[in-house]
Amino acid sequence: MLRLKGGRLYDPAHGIDGQVGDLYVEDGRIVADPGPDAVIHQEIDLTNRVVMAGAIDLHTHIGGGKVNIARALLPEDHRFDPAPATDLMHAGCGHAAPSTWTTGYRYAEMGYTACFEPAMLPSNARHAHLEMGDIPMVDKGAYAMLGSDDFFLRLLATGADQRLVNDYVGWTLDSSQAMAIKVVNPGGISAFKFNARNLDLDEAHPYYSVTPRQVIQTLARAVHDLGVAHPLHVHASNLGIPGNADTTLATMAAAEGLPIHITHIQFHSYGMEGERKFSSEAERIADAINHMGNVSADVGQILFGQTVTASGDTMIQHRNRRHASPDKWVCMDIECDAGCGVVPFKYRDKNFVNALQWAIGLELFLRVTDPWRIFLTTDHPNGAPFTSYPHLIRLLMDRNFRNSKLDEINPEAAAHSQLRQLAREYDLYEIAIMTRAAPARSLGLSDRGHLGVGAAADIVVYRDDTDREVMFAKPEYVFKDGRLIVRDGRVVEVVNGAVHVVKPEYDKGIEKPLKDYFDRYMTVKMEHIKVSDDEICSCGASRLIPHKCSVSSS
Amino acid sequence: MSDTFVCCPFCGLLCDDLTIALNKGQAQIESAGCARAVKLFVVPRQSQALVAGQAVDLAAAYRAAAAILTRSQHPLMGGLACDVTGHRAALALAEKVGGVVDHMNGQAQFRNWLPFQDGGWMTTTLSEVRNRADLIVLAGTDTSRFPRFFERCLTPESQFGELHRQIIALGTNLPLIPGRPTDTDLAIPIQNERLGELFAALRARLAGHRLDAPDIAGVPLAQIDALLVALHAARYGVLVWNAAELDFPNADLAIQAMVNLIKDLNRTTRWSGLPLGGNDGDTSAAQVCTWQAGYPLRTTFEASGPHYEPMLYATDALLESGDVDALVWISAFDPERTPPTANCPTIVLGRPDMIFTRPPDVFIPVAVPGVQHTGFLHRMDAVVALPLSAPAPADLPSVAQALVAIQQKLNHAAA
Ligand code: SF4
Repeated sequence: MLRLKGGRLYDPAHGIDGQVGDLYVEDGRIVADPGPDAVIHQEIDLTNRVVMAGAIDLHTHIGGGKVNIARALLPEDHRFDPAPATDLMHAGCGHAAPSTWTTGYRYAEMGYTACFEPAMLPSNARHAHLEMGDIPMVDKGAYAMLGSDDFFLRLLATGADQRLVNDYVGWTLDSSQAMAIKVVNPGGISAFKFNARNLDLDEAHPYYSVTPRQVIQTLARAVHDLGVAHPLHVHASNLGIPGNADTTLATMAAAEGLPIHITHIQFHSYGMEGERKFSSEAERIADAINHMGNVSADVGQILFGQTVTASGDTMIQHRNRRHASPDKWVCMDIECDAGCGVVPFKYRDKNFVNALQWAIGLELFLRVTDPWRIFLTTDHPNGAPFTSYPHLIRLLMDRNFRNSKLDEINPEAAAHSQLRQLAREYDLYEIAIMTRAAPARSLGLSDRGHLGVGAAADIVVYRDDTDREVMFAKPEYVFKDGRLIVRDGRVVEVVNGAVHVVKPEYDKGIEKPLKDYFDRYMTVKMEHIKVSDDEICSCGASRLIPHKCSVSSS
Repeated sequence: MSDTFVCCPFCGLLCDDLTIALNKGQAQIESAGCARAVKLFVVPRQSQALVAGQAVDLAAAYRAAAAILTRSQHPLMGGLACDVTGHRAALALAEKVGGVVDHMNGQAQFRNWLPFQDGGWMTTTLSEVRNRADLIVLAGTDTSRFPRFFERCLTPESQFGELHRQIIALGTNLPLIPGRPTDTDLAIPIQNERLGELFAALRARLAGHRLDAPDIAGVPLAQIDALLVALHAARYGVLVWNAAELDFPNADLAIQAMVNLIKDLNRTTRWSGLPLGGNDGDTSAAQVCTWQAGYPLRTTFEASGPHYEPMLYATDALLESGDVDALVWISAFDPERTPPTANCPTIVLGRPDMIFTRPPDVFIPVAVPGVQHTGFLHRMDAVVALPLSAPAPADLPSVAQALVAIQQKLNHAAA
């Protein structure tokens, strides 16, 4: 048994806000105080240390076809960040689109113990699991993308019963080994294949005539009816387009009170005011979140520098090709399922639009009052690489630092933004909520994201440092399932994470029409699209962790 | 797998609709395979490991291979014709010994990777082609290296109603299309070497430029303009090429001209490219190397990390220049893909029925993925990865098992 003695615990799931206490770890779990007679094999004195559960990133593009396209596209970016092999670690590369090995090591070195890939195409699921199998250190999971796949749109267009849709959604979660359902530019990826360049929330799809609003409503209902913990994860229509805040607000309303998660909301909070017809609508968006208890969001903060955007949203990515830097980009239509677009980007602090995007993201963080419903993300790598999280945390926790950065950005953008007036500084408790307790709760991970008895011993210990960037960049200790994997920000033991999936109940009768559909139209058999439970470990994960879905009686 | 259908690993289509029976220990195709599959599914269940042409047991072969690698400063892990698990093991070994990796189809792969890394592209996948493509342009390929391409990807039935596909062939080899009265709706004879000129001319005309020549690459201007009208009229056009067949100097530039035309057409209509490939596990090899190291092969593992040189780290160039001092040749799918001649010690992990004119220093017979052992393999589009089954299991090591065994002997030697 291991005793972590006398640390300052931040465990929001139990309302613990910096109280000094001991933690006991045995067999990978946090256990109750065994009493004075127990044999303690190892003790670490954590006086004045900050102790939190392992951090959880619920939206990070770490594995799957489009990430690999981004990697292959950017050899010049990798060249500046090679990762040599060591006795413990594989070689690889870092920065914007890091290799799988390096992704795992660097996440762990920052105190992250679980990462969720938010855009797995069912047709690409086996590949995504193979890639994630080579991401060490952290637990993983993925959200299956639906909403532009032809089978679903056909169901919708023919007025199929919601129960049939639920079965299809349940089958998709099961057969792609996913943790949640994501929708990207609802119906829009499909519409682009029919040469549509826009699709507004209430605009009819050029072939199926259904609207994005219907797609959202039907999928949100299905996710709810199936009892999947994480709400429908929505990448809304009109990403990045000035004036899209109206669409975003309408998208929230479209859920009609059902739980909905709006992802990388920074990219969806734009107005059209001012000379440049580009302005912040962060206040209006944040107010809506504050008033709608069914809505959660992650920010998708941008930070300045070179990165690459990788998205299922071919319609928008094709439009964004003109901003590609370096000037190259990829768009792909995929398997009557979805698509992907990869566009390298360089966000510049002296550029008006980029500077305002930066301020809008921070404004959203500071204006949304409930840290349980707003999550810390950069939509890695779309807004910035995940390695910039410690910097972002400092921006949130340190107003002076934030304002000093505000002085450096495009002055016109700084003048347009109300960021300087926002005095809020996140405290450690709130950081622990938004990076641990809240994502765990949102995903239904009952034994992660907290430090209570029975929790998995994913534990991070930081030296308290007034420079929060330094503090969060280099934890003193990181434990994964009770094993010490990182010491002073360096990997000391390599472990392989598990894969979290949900196992909803649904009527397997859906396989009859599906099999017919695959046989008639697809170039793969339905049976072979399915990823079986035993494949997860063959793909490289340590184990599969199934989560039951709790169907409410309503 | 609970189903009865088997996936064929012998070309980048990865047809997964084969039914197979076991006949005296041999896989026998009962339905759906092409002639290539019928031939390649038959594999001997046993074979003999060789060191310097002499029969040895596997352990001795592993030792001999490890000894070669221990003496080597910079070995080439070449061939790489195996499944994902084999690619993982090959990369692990390359990292361990400071080796360089390239696939036997590297020349063809990099004709695509170079324009991809220079400007990107727009592509599509097989089921999209099957359901949407109303105009197919075959540029310099008759698709015959992918025997069931027409049957699998260009059936008339689509979920958007019957498709009356137009097929235009540019090149000297015309495709044989099953079930069609004429092979193509339009055939423009042109040497593959000159395809780049034709596509550059199409781009120029699309942009409204005048061309002051009666013809381009032998194609009259009027025909170029007529072709452009056809391209424009497509609802969903697909330009198909096979980099392996574009075998001439600077073919990457011809491919670049093609993908740039696709980009230009997409300003107003929908077009996509379909780069044929994926034979001999080449798509999987590039995918695994990309996710593990960041680069699509032609990468060497140096002390500072992976180092990528797409021009320098080509198999032929490395062997010729003497930059590598040992060759590990992995070829588990096709017995005819034997190693290139090399002036350095050569270790072959090959299909059991591989025949050599001159035996390599070490030969380790390996099981064929998808016939003799299970695994994973990517289709040509790199999106779909399929499970390989083992309809005729054999008592031979897989590539991954053999490489791990060699690496273990290496650890012994180092200790
Ligand atoms: S076409 Fe290719 S994948 Fe299909 S059966 Fe023939 S060799 Fe196998």
